[in-house]
Amino acid sequence: MHQTNNEKKRENQKDQNLNMFKNFGTPLLIVLLFCLHSTAQTTTIPIRFKLKFNSNDVVKGQNFISKNNDTLSIETFKCYLSNFKLEYTDKSISEIKNHYYLLDSDSLKSFRIELPKKENKTISKITFAIGIDSITNTSGVQNGALDPINGMYWAWQSGYINFKIEGKSSSCKTRLNKFHFHIGGYLYPNYALRIIEIPIHKSQNPTKTLDLTIDLATFFNEIHLEENNSIMIPGKDAMKLADMSLKLFTVE
Amino acid sequence: MKKVLYIVSLSFGIGILFFSILGFTNMVFTPIYFEVPKHFPKPVYDFSKNPLTEEKFQLGRTLFYDPILSRDNTISCASCHLQASAFTHVDHDLSHGIDGRIGTRNSLTLQNLAWSKDFMWDGGINHLDVQAITPITHQLEMDETLPNVIKKLQESPKYNALFTQAFGDKKVTSERLLKSFSQFLVQLVTANSKYDKVIRKEETYTSQEQNGYTLFQNNCASCHTEPLFTSDVFETNGLPVDAYLKDGGRIKITTLKKDSLLFKVPTLRNIQFSFPYMHDGRFKTLNEVVLFYNTNPDAQKALLKKNKKRMQLTDNERVDLITFLKTLSDKEFLFNPRYSFPRE
Repeated sequence: MHQTNNEKKRENQKDQNLNMFKNFGTPLLIVLLFCLHSTAQTTTIPIRFKLKFNSNDVVKGQNFISKNNDTLSIETFKCYLSNFKLEYTDKSISEIKNHYYLLDSDSLKSFRIELPKKENKTISKITFAIGIDSITNTSGVQNGALDPINGMYWAWQSGYINFKIEGKSSSCKTRLNKFHFHIGGYLYPNYALRIIEIPIHKSQNPTKTLDLTIDLATFFNEIHLEENNSIMIPGKDAMKLADMSLKLFTVE
Repeated sequence: MKKVLYIVSLSFGIGILFFSILGFTNMVFTPIYFEVPKHFPKPVYDFSKNPLTEEKFQLGRTLFYDPILSRDNTISCASCHLQASAFTHVDHDLSHGIDGRIGTRNSLTLQNLAWSKDFMWDGGINHLDVQAITPITHQLEMDETLPNVIKKLQESPKYNALFTQAFGDKKVTSERLLKSFSQFLVQLVTANSKYDKVIRKEETYTSQEQNGYTLFQNNCASCHTEPLFTSDVFETNGLPVDAYLKDGGRIKITTLKKDSLLFKVPTLRNIQFSFPYMHDGRFKTLNEVVLFYNTNPDAQKALLKKNKKRMQLTDNERVDLITFLKTLSDKEFLFNPRYSFPRE
């Protein structure tokens, strides 16, 4: 009996020590791990996006001609990218969750982002989402890239616009010949988020930066602007355009 | 013993640090404890993401009553949401907005919103914190932009002071703005009607009210669930479509055929004062509403999906039912000075 009491005491002491560790040890451990993690193994790689129409840079107001013979110019291109993941040749990955980037044709700076990359590893694939996932869409007001002030939040109903392309074309019999594509939707069956996977060949393997092209021609070659020039609600049409966005991104 | 000393001195140190910071910045926030009425379910609103303080509540309240939110500074939230009618636009079938523009739906009451998971007649708004964006930017309502509201508030000395009191500095952001609205809105709790007092055994029904309550439970309660008097879901009620508005309700949000003509079940609390009724305000009196459910074949069909027996009330029973509905009026809520226009 006496022994068991002593044992209990020792157990309690252990528990207390453990609790002490829980209270102070865990944050310390996290800080330590974080230091190791960030200094020893991980570096960053800049990703540069280039907005193109075929091989030409997109300049505001400049005319381009699509395969369907629509003459058009781009005023605005805005796009949310999230959940970036880098896969390496040894099948390991680095990913950043819950981080949202807003690419905006009015801000050159936004076309360059930095991703964490494991040092001395070769990238074999980059994966990311175009748009905002449904959980984030139902989590109320947020700031930073997700601030509703950025013009990428619908007002008539809740939800983010995943990407937005606006401009003018003589093919559009609309006010001022404008076209508007605001693509989004977080509710099934019109969930418009799309996952892009781009394999990266050994020969393309980036060491300093990774350049990705956003070729708007792939988009407009599939659209007849005379008939299809305004989509601003989630639905079947938005889903079709979301599917087209799968081809927008290529590695240079 | 050493350990105890260590902990005591540590907490003392932290305390001193804390109060010296407070002293320097003059930041004193008064926390508010959100009291859930005993007979109510757990709120939906996540208070941990927007902890209530008196300062934020007062900011939200001031914003609610301020026309600065609209394009030409003429329309406030309170224009269509008046306290005396349970925060709806009394006597207007469709709500008015800026320049006398007329909206497409009857404004909803603002009551017990902390228990709602989505908002508007079609549930298009999925979180209370983003609700205010809609009326502010809607061209038939306030016709303003979020960036411009923020700019106007940032330039206002009055709001510089209020934001500083609420957040510690005067910076206006959409997150601060919208969460302040929620601070005010979630506190619009009505739980002191005669119905509530009967539930709490503080009062008793008259025999007419009691009879009405039984009729209510048999015919209405499947959608207007107690104690909130709404199931917070979307239902069809058999109302014929307004030829001009052609409002399909929930289908606009989901694009699903099954959601055609479905509307959010509104709460019946303070129903006596929130006329006219229905999403397009087509009925002026409670008697018309009850008559509609009692006689319209489509309404009867809709009700039969929920209830075992067809609703067939006699004239006297209709009177009893309405007498019960009036026990849902909460005068303390309707005239609570805490929710009213903030006089300086």
